[in-house]
Amino acid sequence: MAENNVIELQDVTKTYRLGDEVLNALDNVDFSVRSGEFVAITGPSGSGKSTLANIIGGLDRPTSGTVLIDGSDLSHVRDRQLSDYRNHHIGFVFQSFNLQGTQTALENVMLPLVFARMKPKERKARAKECLEKVGLGDRLKHRPSQLSGGQRQRVAIARALAVNPSIILADEPTGNLDTARGEEIMRLLKDLNKQGITLVVITHDQTIARQADRIIQVRDGKVAH
Amino acid sequence: MRLTDYIAIAFRNIRRSKLRSALTIFAVVIGATSITIMLAAVFSLKGFMTKQFEANGTFQQVEVSPQTDITWGDNNGSNCQDCVKLTDDLATKIGGMQHVVGVTRQTQVGQFQALTYGNQKLRTQEMSAYDANGIIATQVLAGRDINATDKTGVLTISSDYADKLGFKHNYQALIGKKVGLMTQGWYNGVGTDPLQRFNDQQAWFKAHPGASGNDYQPAPVTLTGTIVGITSASDRNYVIRVPLDWARGMEEQQNVMYSNQKCDRNGCTQGTPTVTTEDELAKQGYNSYIVKVDESSNAAAVAKAIRTNYKIGAADAQTEIKSQLAIFNILGLVLGGIGGIALVVAAVGVVNTMVMSILERTREIGVMRAVGARRGTVSALFTFEAALLGFFGGVIGLGVGYGAVLIANPIINKQLSSNNITSSNIITLPIWLILGVVGLTTLIGILAGLYPARRAAHLDPVEALHYE
Repeated sequence: MAENNVIELQDVTKTYRLGDEVLNALDNVDFSVRSGEFVAITGPSGSGKSTLANIIGGLDRPTSGTVLIDGSDLSHVRDRQLSDYRNHHIGFVFQSFNLQGTQTALENVMLPLVFARMKPKERKARAKECLEKVGLGDRLKHRPSQLSGGQRQRVAIARALAVNPSIILADEPTGNLDTARGEEIMRLLKDLNKQGITLVVITHDQTIARQADRIIQVRDGKVAH
Repeated sequence: MRLTDYIAIAFRNIRRSKLRSALTIFAVVIGATSITIMLAAVFSLKGFMTKQFEANGTFQQVEVSPQTDITWGDNNGSNCQDCVKLTDDLATKIGGMQHVVGVTRQTQVGQFQALTYGNQKLRTQEMSAYDANGIIATQVLAGRDINATDKTGVLTISSDYADKLGFKHNYQALIGKKVGLMTQGWYNGVGTDPLQRFNDQQAWFKAHPGASGNDYQPAPVTLTGTIVGITSASDRNYVIRVPLDWARGMEEQQNVMYSNQKCDRNGCTQGTPTVTTEDELAKQGYNSYIVKVDESSNAAAVAKAIRTNYKIGAADAQTEIKSQLAIFNILGLVLGGIGGIALVVAAVGVVNTMVMSILERTREIGVMRAVGARRGTVSALFTFEAALLGFFGGVIGLGVGYGAVLIANPIINKQLSSNNITSSNIITLPIWLILGVVGLTTLIGILAGLYPARRAAHLDPVEALHYE
């Protein structure tokens, strides 16, 4: 493995069983992402790109193969380590934001810090800092329903930033936004990438994919380099 | 995750679906309230009864009766044929037994029909006499109890008689007053003139030739006594007590017999009517003895020894009370069981609520997992929430139960004081009951939360995040 590879997948296969049929969502995938790189993963729906993202994000485990993140193998660790990995290394940004509707922007951003056992005061300060970073310093007490789509996604990005992750994994981050808001979000993510965070964006939108340093095409569970 | 965060999140979630949480808690409250009230009432009453018996020394007593199958407090006098008589001699023998401190001989006096005062006349029910040696404790509301120096002509009456005589709030005013004890017609104990009665009878039959013996109704006699004390009607109601010596006289049979009859060929002369007096009490024996033992722990053994040695009935209160209090234990179990069923139903409610809650919050669980919540954390979070539902139910149930106790106690106090019992607020909530109820409902919450929590923890985060 190269020195500066933050993500490295070796021979990763993920199979699902649908009745008698065995479905290869990922078929002997090999690829790596360097630290600080911006990689776009594209492919038609059902190609396996989401499965790939979930495995990188530690939400799912490969059926076989090795997943090395910062050099440590994630493919066989227990739930506890995998959860801690998600907590400490990964910031998720989802297409549908996945904010908690009953809570304020600040509380939403604080959530990962709660699981990181950070002290309430520090937690609040850190969440505020992250919201300011995404330009929502004046919307701390707003609930998601009081925010626009773009603002909501920025809250989600602030939440992803909260634990100071080494990787931000964004699954169709602009999918629910109009073009202008989508561009804003991409600008924000690219800014974060420039500050050194590895950015992996899953998208089927070629205009977004073209902004990446590198595009990884997934088709029928295989990576076309 | 920090404990404070568990608490904060659980509270927030309970608040979020207020109605559902309230209904779930309500079910727990019903169970907790019923358990609280039922157990508090049963245990308090049991304790109260035991204390009452301990207070008047009943546990140190053995009741002896001529019947062999009596139970404590169940002695209704005796006339049985095969019974061993409770004589003075036997009382002395029992008094000499090991652990026996003293013996009180007790008798019921019949043959009286009314208590008279001025022109008032009250039907008498029970007239008793026993050794005034302090073994039988009587609660005296005014004046004094019968004492050992009293021989005849004095009595105590229970407060209900005093009430009927119009001295309800002024028992003291009755002390020293003379009352009459009106006998039945055939009474021929102390206070009658047997010869006079004999002559009256002879004269009546002479005037009513052909009349049968039952037709003659001798006039009742009224004995006069001075009230020395008013006893509490809650101990024994409608009771008149006289000194044992007087009772002995009342039970005497004074008969007239002809003596010095002279007989020749033509028959016998009528002879001189002579009065013979029979000590009926000595002949028939006492109704019962109350035997006092040195330690209440010896009562059962003494009772047994009396039964086997003298073939008479002997019962100690403790053995009897134990079997009576066992009813309270059963009652407690039954009532507690009803509360327990309510709690089981409440537990089902908690499970249902938590499962619903998890369905609604599937996506949220997915997010929590994505941002780093471990399975154990999610599980603990939901278990904690269920425990909190149980805890709240327990606390509110206790509160309602306490309210019920606050309402019940004054009512019971009123009842007790109207019976001249000074105990008050007999229903208490002991600390073990308080902790037990809250602990139980919390435990039920935890147990009810285990399955939903496990379900929540094992949700696939990927699926949960895309759950609609």
